[in-house]
Amino acid sequence: MKQLLRFLLLSLILVTGVAVVSSAESGKENRIDLIGKVVDHYYLDFKPLATVELPRLIYDNGRLHAYRSTSSLLNKSELFTDAAYIDSEPVIREGKIKPATYRIVRTDGTSPQFDFSITSHLIFFWLAALLTFLIFIPLSSKYRKGIGRSSEPRGAFQNIFETLVVFIRDDIALQNIGPQKYQTFTPYLLTVFFFILFMNFFGLMPWGVSSTADITITAVLALFTFAITQIFATKDHWKHVFWFPGVPVPIKLILMPVELIGLFTKPFALCIRLFANMASGKILIMAILGTIFIFSDLFGPGVAYGTSWIWVFLTLFVYLIKALVSFIQAYVFTILSALFIGLAVTEHNEEHAH
Amino acid sequence: MNPVFAQGLLDVDFGLFFWVLITFLLFLFLLTKFAWKPILNALGEREKAIRESLEAAEKARDEAMHISKENEKALKEAESISQKMRKEAIEESEALRSDRAEKAKAEAQKLLDQARSTIEQEKKKALLELRTEVSKMAIEAASRILDEEIDEKRNKKIVDRYINELN
Repeated sequence: MKQLLRFLLLSLILVTGVAVVSSAESGKENRIDLIGKVVDHYYLDFKPLATVELPRLIYDNGRLHAYRSTSSLLNKSELFTDAAYIDSEPVIREGKIKPATYRIVRTDGTSPQFDFSITSHLIFFWLAALLTFLIFIPLSSKYRKGIGRSSEPRGAFQNIFETLVVFIRDDIALQNIGPQKYQTFTPYLLTVFFFILFMNFFGLMPWGVSSTADITITAVLALFTFAITQIFATKDHWKHVFWFPGVPVPIKLILMPVELIGLFTKPFALCIRLFANMASGKILIMAILGTIFIFSDLFGPGVAYGTSWIWVFLTLFVYLIKALVSFIQAYVFTILSALFIGLAVTEHNEEHAH
Repeated sequence: MNPVFAQGLLDVDFGLFFWVLITFLLFLFLLTKFAWKPILNALGEREKAIRESLEAAEKARDEAMHISKENEKALKEAESISQKMRKEAIEESEALRSDRAEKAKAEAQKLLDQARSTIEQEKKKALLELRTEVSKMAIEAASRILDEEIDEKRNKKIVDRYINELN
């Protein structure tokens, strides 16, 4: 009975879908640039409401070129003249949507010395930073006043964030770095965790972009972890890298390059892991939604409309997983950073064998 | 040369790199100074206070337990002492009673013995007196019978002999 009902419903959806859209024609090319949706842009995309262009800042030949937007830069044409080099996105030319984003080049086609324009990922990175700031500064003032210092924390706001802070301090920093030195690194781990968490969450919002799906940003974060591990590394750590104690000399020689490479693979893995996870989630959602359009091309728009609910449900499912992954990846980045720091700063006993 | 510098997925944008680096450093510093340190300090303080009060409570509990244990011990001791004392008292009283009874018995026996011996003596005395009296009476009677014939000394001798024979 239930199955029959389901079948009827399905066929109804399919039939109405076919009926409604069979007249619609897909004459023009509908191409979705999948990667273009994931990469960085020089504008904020609020389609179909608006597209907000971001300032362009370019340093070249001792001069700073600062423009309000890409469009205004294009209109000035100081850095370039040849139209072939110019991509005017997000300005739509000849009714065609051009691929996502392009760098500004000189008139001869070479790139300028330093392009530090504001990008969409940067905006969302700043938003995440600002959000962290706006949450934890009032929270700290609460603690300063004594709520949570001498009494229990009050209110959902304080309780939620205190739980997270305590979790990072006790289960990440203390567990991986050890009781002697964890306090030095807890602020860094807290900052990284909340930045990544909020950046991931922005990716789940409408028009939002997850900045962690940008390898540049994850690279900076991984670089910080790398720098901290190198700066705070103990003599013991270096000894373990260059002249591994407790093993015969030939093995020492083999281990040296392995350990040296390990120094760099650790932050590299951190960087790639976060980036790949966040970007893949986004690409997956785009790809699943894109199936509707592929179906439209293959079987006609009717079938596409009829089956679209499957892809929407799948997208919803992936979206929920992304929400989970947002947390998990923030946690993983933080715990791995703590682990690497912990490895570098612990004092080993000379006697104990590995 | 490709004139269009499309941004790929894996390209590192140094402009962005620069901004993120600066922002992160700035916020790391600001957040550490104004948010994390106060929060972590407050949490640490609170935990320390809780730990200390817990420790104090534990100590107080231990002390109370110790005191109650001591009290119990004292109570037990007092009880055992009182039990011992009672037992002793009972024993003593028992001993006293039996002692007294024995003494009374002995006394009674003594009195009885005394009485017996007195009676014996009295009896002897009475018998002696009786004998003298009887002899006197006999002599008197005899003398009355014999009258002046026999002097008194000789008669007495005869009577005595007679009495002794009687005995």
